[in-house]
Amino acid sequence: MSTLVDEIRSYVVTEFLDGEDTSDLTPDFDLIANGVVDSLGLVRVVSHLSRAYAIPVDDIPLKPEHFRSIAAIAGFVESARPAVV
Amino acid sequence: MTTAPVQSAPHAPAPDLDPYELATPWADELNRDVDEFDARAEFPWEKWKTIRRSGILTVPFDTRYGGRGGTLTDTMRALEGLGYTCRDAGLGFSASTQIVSVGVPLQAFAREELKSRYLPRIVSGELITAHAITEPDHGSDAMNISTTARRDGDAYVIDGGKMFITNAPIADLFLLYVRTGEPGPFGLSVFLVERDTPGLVVGEPLAKMGLRTSPLSEVTFDRLRVPATHRVGQEGAGFLILDHVMKREILFSFSLTLGEMSHRLERVIHQARTRRQFDQPIGRFQAVSHRIADMKIAVETSRKWLTDTGAKVEAGQDTAIDIAATKTVVSEANKSTALDAVQIFGGQGYLTGTGIERDVRNAVGGTIYSGTSEIQRNRIAALLGL
Repeated sequence: MSTLVDEIRSYVVTEFLDGEDTSDLTPDFDLIANGVVDSLGLVRVVSHLSRAYAIPVDDIPLKPEHFRSIAAIAGFVESARPAVV
Repeated sequence: MTTAPVQSAPHAPAPDLDPYELATPWADELNRDVDEFDARAEFPWEKWKTIRRSGILTVPFDTRYGGRGGTLTDTMRALEGLGYTCRDAGLGFSASTQIVSVGVPLQAFAREELKSRYLPRIVSGELITAHAITEPDHGSDAMNISTTARRDGDAYVIDGGKMFITNAPIADLFLLYVRTGEPGPFGLSVFLVERDTPGLVVGEPLAKMGLRTSPLSEVTFDRLRVPATHRVGQEGAGFLILDHVMKREILFSFSLTLGEMSHRLERVIHQARTRRQFDQPIGRFQAVSHRIADMKIAVETSRKWLTDTGAKVEAGQDTAIDIAATKTVVSEANKSTALDAVQIFGGQGYLTGTGIERDVRNAVGGTIYSGTSEIQRNRIAALLGL
């Protein structure tokens, strides 16, 4: 799980916070309330998760609480992605 | 004067034909009386039959629905070829809208029942399609549209209205982007609606500057009842569908534009070689030749952006900046090269008979629809953290 959190944190930093101070970006940091990810950004996040973790878009729960923080995103990705055999 | 249509290529296109060539055999029919149709702002129904016969509408769709099974690049090539061949930019725009507005999202997101029921007739062009996103008070602000869909038993009830809907006056099917939740991305859902559904009212065609043979109008919804089975994708997935569609709308419609610009460049070069002033071809004057050199740069820059962005979309890469940049580059290149052509043709370019001035009127729309140049620059700036 910590690897997954690290992966998602790395994605968020690269795509949304490139060149900025990310010392406050803890797993529970509110990405939406703090304006890190806006409406259009959410489209990119969902597309990325679908692609990177092979989760069909229809299986991604489209509710704000699942995208509010890195920990929340990691939580539903962990539960939704196909099991690796 | 409208003359009787003649079928110049009454055969089905070979499956291995380069999609770029699909329109080529139909040039005579597509280019008949373009001035007259433009002056009357009339959708050319006979030419729509020609578009259907050409196979262009089938390119991106699965063969089980009557499609050609082509890639995104194949579809871009087909539309570029149409843009090069067909001087009726409005007809081309309606054809591009037909491909992307309903068929593409249905194939990608809809349940099999909806696909089987509608796709074959969309792919063949028998059913004309439109998508309704823009509203009078929410143009580029699609995440905050105000048309609502309220769940009522096994259906949704839709109230509100949409504006500037391409193909609406002639459409049989509409894909509606409406609000099913709170403002923001997760409140947007998508529904497929047939034209004759009670509560759906299509307005009169709106008179406009260019693309006059591609009709558009307002569409309003008053207690429009749509079966829940006609929802495309899960509730709240509208923003994902919109993202999928807008990328392709831009790539497809501006591939058409690329073809139109390529044709314009060839025409201008011919004019510069053959039109003589002061005992020499006007292309010998540096003021003319440099203008044409700049047109060539604009056309090839557009081609590179379209090709590169198309490849990235096909590879599933993040193209948020690329799409906005491509749209801006190609639409503005189209407008600038259209004006260049008027200047090089001089008085002839100013007359309606040459079609050069029509290109200018048609080109302006490209900097407005699918997100204005200003919105695209805002988006790029925001993605750069500005």
